[in-house]
Amino acid sequence: MTSQTPPGPPPARPDVRLSARGLVHRFGTTTALAGVDVDLHDGEALAVMGPSGSGKSTLLHCLAGILVPAAGEVTLRGAPVSRLSDRERSLLRRRRFGFVFQFGQLLPELPAQENVALPLLLLGVPRAEAVTRARQWLGWLGLGGMEERRPGELSGGQAQRVAVARALVAGPEVVFADEPTGALDRATGAEVMRVLTGATRAAGASLVVVTHDEETAAWCGRRVEVRDGRLREAPRVHPSTTATPVVAAGGGAR
Amino acid sequence: MRAVLALAPRLRRAGEDRSVTPTALAVAAFAVTTALTLSVVGGLRGFVAREADPPSWLDASMAPTYVILAWVAVVLLVVPLLALAGAAARLGVARRDARLATLRLLGVTPREVVVLTAVETAAQGLVGAVLGVVGHALLLPVWAQVPFQGRPFTAGELWVGWAGAVLALLVVPLLAALSGAASLRRVVVSPLGVARRTTPPGMRAVRVLGVVGALVAFVVGARVMNRLGEAVAIALMLGLLALVLGTLNLVGPWTVGVVGRLMARRGGPARLLAARRLLDDPRAAWRVVGGLGLASFVAAVLSVMPGFTVLSGESDPQTELLVADLVTGGVLTLAIAYVVAAVAAGIAQAAGVLDRRREHALQLLAGVPVELFDAVRRREVLVPLLAVSLTSAGVGLVVLLPLFGASLVVRPDGLLLLLGCLVVGTLAVLAATEASRPLLRATAATTVVRAD
Repeated sequence: MTSQTPPGPPPARPDVRLSARGLVHRFGTTTALAGVDVDLHDGEALAVMGPSGSGKSTLLHCLAGILVPAAGEVTLRGAPVSRLSDRERSLLRRRRFGFVFQFGQLLPELPAQENVALPLLLLGVPRAEAVTRARQWLGWLGLGGMEERRPGELSGGQAQRVAVARALVAGPEVVFADEPTGALDRATGAEVMRVLTGATRAAGASLVVVTHDEETAAWCGRRVEVRDGRLREAPRVHPSTTATPVVAAGGGAR
Repeated sequence: MRAVLALAPRLRRAGEDRSVTPTALAVAAFAVTTALTLSVVGGLRGFVAREADPPSWLDASMAPTYVILAWVAVVLLVVPLLALAGAAARLGVARRDARLATLRLLGVTPREVVVLTAVETAAQGLVGAVLGVVGHALLLPVWAQVPFQGRPFTAGELWVGWAGAVLALLVVPLLAALSGAASLRRVVVSPLGVARRTTPPGMRAVRVLGVVGALVAFVVGARVMNRLGEAVAIALMLGLLALVLGTLNLVGPWTVGVVGRLMARRGGPARLLAARRLLDDPRAAWRVVGGLGLASFVAAVLSVMPGFTVLSGESDPQTELLVADLVTGGVLTLAIAYVVAAVAAGIAQAAGVLDRRREHALQLLAGVPVELFDAVRRREVLVPLLAVSLTSAGVGLVVLLPLFGASLVVRPDGLLLLLGCLVVGTLAVLAATEASRPLLRATAATTVVRAD
């Protein structure tokens, strides 16, 4: 982890990967984001916390180019994201971002290896190569032997690890995880977070995890909290556990 | 029970998002099924009436043959029409899954859920049946353009009668309720059975032997036919036809599976996903296109008949008329089968979009282009459609080629009509699948703001 970020608005640093300035977003009369500034640095794992309805998912959607904020700007390595067209943002998400959702992002018709290979196939990688790389990722994440299984034949934790492989297979710059442990029990959630943080770091990607769960957030090097549409740096609750462990099987991947 | 039923309309309004598309689609499917079934039955009635009381201009000796042929058309279309009604009922149920789960949590018993579903599906069926009877009446002038036995039927001859209309209003809602309750049983008994999809076991190639055997029997039968009396020959022909049709249904899902496996081997993401969907449930894919397979086969066989009469030298006006009517009937049956297939494809795809709305929405969030799902959707229908219709028509022609090969050169009009029907029908099915396009975009758009 490179960040030793002091509290307060972070100064401009050369290693800022994703940056948001003055984000404002409303749904009808509800203000979800009321002026949010945040920087995500190279290799950093950032937990975005907050109670339900605080606007944390909206923040993730704005950062990832899913939503266009009403005001403010998101930049990826200095290039504006929110000014891109719908199609360009879709392309950006496919090429430079990875996503892990709570559940249901794997296509039920496809075996695990093809679910993981799908982002590569969409980028035009030939089938054989895409499947080979997908199988490698599944192996690194401890899912060797499950390549042919379909999502319905996997446990919740296994399915989330497949989702992590899918998010990382195309070499994204930022991985966005929206409540990645929301549908899992404590032990399985911890295992998924260990794999997610470890593999993301090993792949050289930055990570944004949206969660309302302290234990999930504790796996990230830095935590911020959204309250009433505004952001504040949160103190580390469990400093001892935030040292991101290296993923056992995936160390040195890629 | 009464309280639950009283709650139904309220829950219904709460359960619908902003879109009423699925309900509308289900009602439309029931309406199309009713209108076409009544039209086909009306046609049968017309022929029966002409047989019972032959008009002065009609050669009465031919009338019974027409009744037999009309029955063949009815038999050919009954299965796809029933399948369509079943699909419509399932679509309605799929849409209500989430709401029914909530009801179960609130303590409603499985039996009450089944009754609730049956009542709602029956209501959709009733609305569809009413629209279908109206549709049947509106279609009468269209059918009255088609010449049969040298003279088109009048609208009055083709009208199914008030008794038939009332029967439809009773039977369609009943079938809808039964079908809806049956498809729900799976959900009620095992909620996991639907959500947890596993790899289905492949189907045996033995099925192919059945169809080969039937075709051999058909060819042999056709060869000995000339030596038999007319009545026996017709009976033999119809029997063998039924045998071939039966085996086609046996081999259809297997063929879809094989096509899916071949498709899955290489190619881009759209092709892979379409192939996996075909492999996932080849029977469902066959249900959409199956009726078409049988109709294409029969239409192909009948399309070469005009040449047959030319070659055999039996060119008396009566035979000419019968043969021309055979082509008309065959192509008409195929056209109706295409309409059924188009509606079935539209229904199946709408249900598919609703079943997969979460997966789709999350894929789109992750940057998967929405065009991918459009491409998958098109391939998912088009590949089995072309495989089935072209193979069936091809088999039909190949079977008869030894008998009538040269005749195609002499009288190509039947064949041209067949080809035209295949092309227009395929385009119609393709157009019907576009109905789920706005639905896909609507389900995707609603989930973006629903943070879960």
